[in-house]
Amino acid sequence: MAEPATARAWLGGLAAHGRPLILATVSAGVVVGLATIAQMAFLAGIVHQGLVAEVPVEQLSLLFTGAVAAILVRGLAQGLQSRFAARCSRKVRSEVRHQVNRCWQATGPVAMGQISAGTLAREWLDHTDALHGYFARFLPQMILAVIVPLLVLVVVFSLDWLAGIFLLLSAPLIPLFMALVGMGAEKLNQQHFQTIGRLSGQFLDRVRGLTTLQLFGQTATAAEILRERSDDYRRVTMKTLRIAFLSSAVLEFFSSVAIAVVAIYIGFGLLGYITYGPAEDLTLFSGLLVLLLAPEFFQPLRLLSQHYHDRAAAMGAGEELVRRLQSVEAGAQAAQGSFQPQSPDLVSVRDLSLAYDRERPVLDQVSLEVSKGDVIALTGPSGGGKSSLLYLIAGFMQPDRGNISVFGAAPGIQPFGWLGQSPFLVHGTWADNVRLTTPDATDISIETALRQVGLGDLLNNRKSGIYSRITEDGQGLSGGQARRLSLARVFVANYDLILLDEPTAGLDSDSEIYILEALHKLALAGKTLIFATHHQALLTLANRTLLVSEGGVQDA
Amino acid sequence: MRELRPWISLIFRRPGRLLVGGLLILITLLSGMGLLALSGWFITATALTGLLLATGVQASLNLYIPGGGIRFFAVARTVARYAERVYNHDTVLRLLTDIRVALFERLSLAARYRRTALRGPQWLSRLTNDVDALDTLYLRLIAPTALAALVTALLIVVAWVFYSQALAIGLLITLLPAFLVATVVVYLRTRHLVYRQTDARERARTDVIEHIEGFAELTAAGRTGKHAALCLRQADQIARNDSRADTRTGWNLGLAQVMVNLAVVLAVWMGLQLFQQGSVTGPVVVLLPVALLGLLEVYSMLPDAFARLGGTLASAARLNRDCVAESAAGSAASQPPADPRHALELDQVTVRFGDHSPVISRFDLAVLNGEWVNIIGNSGAGKSSLAEVMAGLEIPASGCARRITSAYLTQQTVLFEDTLKANLLIGRPDASDADVWRVLGLVAMADRFTREPAQLNTWLGSMGSQLSGGEARRIALARVLLNEAPLIILDEPFTGVDTHTRNSITADMKQWLGEKTVVALGHAPEALPASDRTLRLS
Repeated sequence: MAEPATARAWLGGLAAHGRPLILATVSAGVVVGLATIAQMAFLAGIVHQGLVAEVPVEQLSLLFTGAVAAILVRGLAQGLQSRFAARCSRKVRSEVRHQVNRCWQATGPVAMGQISAGTLAREWLDHTDALHGYFARFLPQMILAVIVPLLVLVVVFSLDWLAGIFLLLSAPLIPLFMALVGMGAEKLNQQHFQTIGRLSGQFLDRVRGLTTLQLFGQTATAAEILRERSDDYRRVTMKTLRIAFLSSAVLEFFSSVAIAVVAIYIGFGLLGYITYGPAEDLTLFSGLLVLLLAPEFFQPLRLLSQHYHDRAAAMGAGEELVRRLQSVEAGAQAAQGSFQPQSPDLVSVRDLSLAYDRERPVLDQVSLEVSKGDVIALTGPSGGGKSSLLYLIAGFMQPDRGNISVFGAAPGIQPFGWLGQSPFLVHGTWADNVRLTTPDATDISIETALRQVGLGDLLNNRKSGIYSRITEDGQGLSGGQARRLSLARVFVANYDLILLDEPTAGLDSDSEIYILEALHKLALAGKTLIFATHHQALLTLANRTLLVSEGGVQDA
Repeated sequence: MRELRPWISLIFRRPGRLLVGGLLILITLLSGMGLLALSGWFITATALTGLLLATGVQASLNLYIPGGGIRFFAVARTVARYAERVYNHDTVLRLLTDIRVALFERLSLAARYRRTALRGPQWLSRLTNDVDALDTLYLRLIAPTALAALVTALLIVVAWVFYSQALAIGLLITLLPAFLVATVVVYLRTRHLVYRQTDARERARTDVIEHIEGFAELTAAGRTGKHAALCLRQADQIARNDSRADTRTGWNLGLAQVMVNLAVVLAVWMGLQLFQQGSVTGPVVVLLPVALLGLLEVYSMLPDAFARLGGTLASAARLNRDCVAESAAGSAASQPPADPRHALELDQVTVRFGDHSPVISRFDLAVLNGEWVNIIGNSGAGKSSLAEVMAGLEIPASGCARRITSAYLTQQTVLFEDTLKANLLIGRPDASDADVWRVLGLVAMADRFTREPAQLNTWLGSMGSQLSGGEARRIALARVLLNEAPLIILDEPFTGVDTHTRNSITADMKQWLGEKTVVALGHAPEALPASDRTLRLS
C-alpha cells in the first residue's frame, strides 16, 4: 500500500525533473509581481506630481512612459509564465508516461494480463493528466504565494512600517493562513467531488439499465427518482459547503478589512491626526502606493486557494500511479539469475524451479530438451504448471532458479510466435494488424497468410481486400476469428519458435479446424512448436507429448 | 454555438435563481471596486486637505461618510462573496440535476440507444465528462461574461457623466478590445486545439488498450517498444495541444490585462488634464483609475472559461447527436399477432449486422397462448439476437415479429443501485410487500433477505455487487416473474444458478405463471425449465 507520503515523495521527484521549467515559471511570476509594484509606484508618483505638486500632465511623460513600460513587462511576464507552466506540465507528464511504460515492460505480459486494460489505460491517460494542474498552477503558485507578498511587504515597510504591520497582522503568519485556506479548500473539494461522483454514479447506473427500464415502461418513474435523489444530495452537500466556504470568506474578510484599516489609517495620518510613528512622513505618493499594493499582497494567496483542488487531484492520481510503479520494483528485485547459453539447435531447460507460494512449487527442478523442428504438446491438469512453463520459455516470467536457453539465447531475446487465448486486434485494416508484428511484410504474404488461417471468405466480401478495415460496421471479429488473425501474424513472420497457450480452447468447430490445419502446416515447414493443451486433436499433432503435473515434467 | 442552444434554454428555465446569483456576484465585484476606489478618493482627499491644513488654511473634510463607506464596502464584499458562493453552488447543483434528468428523459426516448453502439463503458464515461462540461456553463462562462460587460459599460457611463466624453470614448477604445481579447479571441484561437481533444483522447485510449491486450504477442515479436512509442507519441500530441491552448490562453490573459492597465493610465492622464482645467477635483481624478484596476479581477476569470468553450461545444454536439429522440421508430415494432390464438409470431425473420452474413435467416415461429417453448443454441448461434427481436428491442433486417404484451429477461443481469424492493417494483410498481416476498420465495431468495436487517429495503450496491452472480440473476428473474405481461421471454434465465436451486425454482415456476406463455432460450436443455416444445438453432 502506498501512503500519501510516498505519493508526495514521488511528486517531489517529478518536480525535480521539471525543476528548470518550474524555476522559469516562478521567475516569470516574480517579474509579474515586481512589474506590478513598479506600475503602482509610477501611478502613485504621477498622481502625487499632478495633484500635489500640480505639475502639468505634459511634463510627466517620463513617469507615464515608465508606467506603460511596467505594464508591458507585466503582460509579457504573464504570458511567459503560462508558457513555461504549460511546458513544465507537458514535460512532467511525458516523464510519467515513460515511467509507466518502463513499469509495464518490467511487469511483463503475464502480470499485465491480470490487470484490467481499462484500469491501466486510465492510469496512462487520466491519472497522468490529473498531474497537470499541480505542476502548471499549484506548485509555482505555492512558491509565488510566499515570494510576492514578501516583496510587497518589503516595499510597504519601506514606505510606512505601521501600514506594513497592519498587513502583516491581517495575515499573522502566511503559513497559518495557507493552512487555513488549504483545509477549507480540501474539505470543499472532497465534498464536491464526492457529490458529483455519487450523482454521476446514480445517473450512469440508470442509463446503463435504460433498456431494462424501457422494457418495463418505468423510465418516467426512474427520472423522478433521479431528480429526488439529486435533490437529497444537494441538500446534504450544501450543509457542508456552507461551512467549507467560510474559509474563503475568512480570506476575503481579512483582505477587505486590511485594505479598509490601511486606507483609514493613511487618511488620518495624512490629515495629521496621527502624531506618532511614521504617519507624519506620509505623502499622497506613499499613501496611495500602500493602498494600491494592499490587494496585491493578498492576490497570490487567493490564487493559491483557487488552485488547491489541483493538489488534491494530483495526490489522488499520484497515489495510484505510485502503487502501480512500486508493485513492479518489488517484483523485479526477486528475479534475475545468470544465463548460461546452450546449443543453438536446442530449447534447453535445466533445473527449473518456480513457486507462487512456497509450500507448493509449480515447477520443481524441471529439465527438458527440445530440438529444432519438434512439435511438443504440454498436457496435464489445470494449475499443473503447463502455462507457467510456457511463460518461462517465452521469457514473460523469471524462474526462481534454473536456466533456460532458447536456441542459444536467453528467453525472449529472439522474436518468436505467441498465441494466447485473449484475442488481439487493433483498429485499422487487415494489413495494419498483420504488419504490427512484421512491419515489412508484403501484401501478397499477408493475403496468403490470412487465407491459410481461413479468413479468406471475410476478405472476399470486402472491396479493398487487405486494406479494408476489420471492424467496419462496429461489428468485430468473433473470438475464433481474432485468434486466427493472430495465427496469420505468426505465418507472415516466419519465426523458428512458436509457443501456444491452449490455442483451441473455447473455439467454435470452424475455427478449431482452421487452427489445427494451420499448425500442421507450420509443423511441416520445420518450425518448433510448443503448446499447452487438453485437446485430443492437438495432442495427435505433436511428435512428443509431455505431462506437466505436481511440479514435474515427464513423457506421457 | 447552435449546439449549446438546447442546454442554454434548459439552464434559463430558472431565470430567478440565475438573476439573484448574478446580482450577488455583481455586488461582490462592485463592493471590491468600491472599497478600493473610495479608499483612493479618501486618501487623496485627506492628503490635499492635510496640505492645506499644514499651510494654515482653514479646511475641513467630512470623515464619517467616506469612513463609513469604506467599512460598509469591506463588510459588503465579504458577505456578498460568501452569499454568492453558497447560492451559486446551490444553483450549480440544481442545474446538474436538471441537465441529468433532461438527458435521461431524452435518452429514454432515443431509439438509437437500443442499438449497441451507445452502451459501452467508454461511451458512459464520455457521457459523464460531457455532462460535467455543461454543468458549469452558467457559473464559469455566462455569468462572468455578462457581468464583465455590464461592469465595463457601467464604468464607461460613469466616465461619460462625471468626467468627459473624450475619456469615455478613450475607455471604450481600450476596454472593448480587452473584452474581446479575453473572450471571443481566446475562443477562436483555441477552438481547433480543444474541439478534437476528446476524440483524440478516446483514440489514444483505444490504442493503449489494444497495446495492453496485445502485450504478450507484441512482446514475443519484440515489438512492444515500437508500439509503446506510438502510444507515447499520441499522448504527447494531446499534451502538446493542451499546452498550446494553455499558452495561448495565458498570452491572451496577459494582453487583456495590458489593455485594462492602459485604460487605467489613460484615465489618470485625462483625469489630470480635467483637474488642471478645473472641471474635476483631485480626489475624483483618483476614483476612476482605481475602480478600473478592479476590472482586472473580472477579466481574469474570462480567458480560461473561453478556452474551454471549444470543448464544451464538442460535448454539447455529442450529447445532441447521441440523444436524438426518435420515439416513432421504437413503437413501430410492436404489433399484435395476426392469429388471436398466438402469443408470438415470427415471420421470415432475418437478423444481420451490417454486411456480415445473417445471424438468423428466414426464421419462422408461432407460439400458442399458454405454450412453453424452449430454444436451444450454441453461443454465437444468434439466441440473444432472436430474443431481442421477440421482445421488440431489435428490428429484424427483413420479416416481422408480432407479439402480445411481453416481459423479457435479458441475457445480461441488470440491477440498479437501489433497494431490493425498488429493484423488484420496476417489474410491477403496484406490487404489495406480500407479493414481493412471494416472488422472492419462488426464486429461493426470501431466506437470504429475511436475515438482512433492512429486509426488503436492503441496498443492492454497485451493480448489485453484494450479491453473487447467481443471486443477482434470480433477483432479475423475480422482477420479470412479478410483471403481469401474459408473454414471458427468458434469455438464459439460470446463469450462475446451481442445479439444485434451479430445479426447485422451475418446479414452482409452472404454478406461479399459470396460463402465461413462456419462451425460454438457453445453451442446453438442462439450463431451462421443462417445456411443451423444444427448438434447436443451428
